[in-house]
Amino acid sequence: MATNSHGGKVLDKLAKPLLIALLQVRIYLKDRADLAFSFLLPIAIFALTYGAFGGETSFNGTAHIVNEEEGGLYSALLLDRLGEVDNLDVDLLSASKAESKLDRVDLLMVVFIPSDFSERLEAGEPAKLVFKQRGNGGDEGQIVASIVGGVANRMAQELQVRNEVAEAVADTGISQSDMENTVQQLLENERESPSVTVEEEIVGVSPDIVNDLMPGILVMFVLFAITLTARALVEERKRGTLERLLTTQLSIGQLFVGKFLVNFSRGLIQALVLILLAYAVFQMFTPLAFVESLVIVIAFVAAVSSLGLIIGSIARSEDQSIWIAVFFTMATVILGGTFFEIPESGILSVLSKLSINSYAIDAFETIISDGDSLSDIGIQLGVMTGVAVIGLFIGRSLFRVMPGGR
Amino acid sequence: MTEAYLVAQDLHKSFNEHKAVDGVSFSIEKGEIFGLLGPNGAGKTTTIRMLSTVLEPDSGDIIVGGYSVRHNADAVRNLIGVCPQELALYEELSALDNLVFFGRMAGLNGKEAKAQALSHLELLGLKERAKGRVDKFSGGMKRRVNLAVSLMGHPQFLFLDEPTVGIDPQSRNNIYETIEALRDKGMTILYTTHYMEEADRLCKRVAIIDGGRIIALDTPLTLRSKIGPPEQVTLEDVFLRLTGRSLRD
Repeated sequence: MATNSHGGKVLDKLAKPLLIALLQVRIYLKDRADLAFSFLLPIAIFALTYGAFGGETSFNGTAHIVNEEEGGLYSALLLDRLGEVDNLDVDLLSASKAESKLDRVDLLMVVFIPSDFSERLEAGEPAKLVFKQRGNGGDEGQIVASIVGGVANRMAQELQVRNEVAEAVADTGISQSDMENTVQQLLENERESPSVTVEEEIVGVSPDIVNDLMPGILVMFVLFAITLTARALVEERKRGTLERLLTTQLSIGQLFVGKFLVNFSRGLIQALVLILLAYAVFQMFTPLAFVESLVIVIAFVAAVSSLGLIIGSIARSEDQSIWIAVFFTMATVILGGTFFEIPESGILSVLSKLSINSYAIDAFETIISDGDSLSDIGIQLGVMTGVAVIGLFIGRSLFRVMPGGR
Repeated sequence: MTEAYLVAQDLHKSFNEHKAVDGVSFSIEKGEIFGLLGPNGAGKTTTIRMLSTVLEPDSGDIIVGGYSVRHNADAVRNLIGVCPQELALYEELSALDNLVFFGRMAGLNGKEAKAQALSHLELLGLKERAKGRVDKFSGGMKRRVNLAVSLMGHPQFLFLDEPTVGIDPQSRNNIYETIEALRDKGMTILYTTHYMEEADRLCKRVAIIDGGRIIALDTPLTLRSKIGPPEQVTLEDVFLRLTGRSLRD
């Protein structure tokens, strides 16, 4: 009986903080502006970033070409072949326009097909393409030059094969058209089923932009909840609901735990939406990595909630709470390596150790990109949990419903 | 001899160098409506906060229903309901949700809280709007919800801090009637207001506080008699005579 009674009391003590959390989550879900900020903004920013930079793991470029040969067989063939290359667009320009664009630095590299290109090839003489470029032609220009050169070389080799076969069968009675058809067929077979193929295999970190961006964006937006947490606490103090709650049978400890659970629940809902999106839409996780990511999310959200409560406890006005939270958030985001990789040594490296983001991002990358397990992120989880626990103690000791009061 | 339900004994409270409450003592009888009047910054709210266990006095003690606020604040909280001057409500939620939530915090279970909430909303003429969002309510309706919340649980003592400020005559009248009905059922009430006619109508005794001290305490009639014929003198005249006519921040 004694145990039941004690258990009942413990349950009763826990029930009130949970009721506070439930109430606030209901309010949160009713507040469209808060919801939009929490869910739609990170999704929109992620979608924009993904649209701008993402989804491409291979080169995409344009070959700017001036064809100075009117009606040439091989220049037309070269242009056809270039048109068939994946992820390469062909942009035909007049010579004057190309020169002008090169002068204005609108373009860095233009391929010129000379007027005697086909004539020289048919005569069995070396033909040449001219790559006009500013400086080194830029990264894209160099890659395009390499592709154009490769296609032209292959075309020249095919022509050479054709010529040599023609020479070899010249006195055998095989007709020119039969020979042409056979060689053509063989070359097409070779193009369709090349004897040497290339397969890409990604080792280590995936070059996928989703993998690179998602942890940082997720962590950053969960961290933004600090501002909401701090502001909400000050706002409640101002409108008197905290004071009113203290005149009920709610202890200040229960009230504080309730406020922690409110922020924890909100942060968790927000983070869950983002990682579910990552899981369902971008297939970033294996099911195991998804579960492991949830563990990181829980530890990080707990830490962030505690930090938000500390700021809410020390701030005396909504403006103060917002400014302190924004400054803290921005410093943490920048030092945490959300936007750029932190070097492994130097002052930035040392400062980044003070940012809770760096531990969260590091943990996500270890699980998502490196495919490691929870046992490999013990330190990161430990730091985040430690911040949550110590933050709760500090927040509780600073928390006052009113100056000079409980 | 009437029984004192609340006894405030020599209360002191300072914030930094400022003495907000400086030796306040009074007692309130069971079933009495006791008015605490004073200009802005006189120490009313600080006194109420100490009486309602939110602020701890620097010295002195308060006994409510036989329990000391200093030594048994939890027991005191079981006996009190507080209607603060601010609309301390979750305005994004319905009136019913607010009452049920505060009822749960006051120790009721879900079923009890809902039944009590509906009963209080009916008492205050809000049953038809029970499920309406509070932020869509008029000022008067919000004040009535604010009062209804303070009735949740089983309070025997109510602190009503300016419960009618800024509302229409209909809502004010409804609140008066509710307070009188509560008093008739034996509820003890501490009432603060800036409307002197309210104090005159509702309060059995009033205390006027200024500069953190009680400068007068008696029935409205006796206080009025002290400065002239009571039928020609209002409580406002008494208030202005005692506290001065200079503006207060």
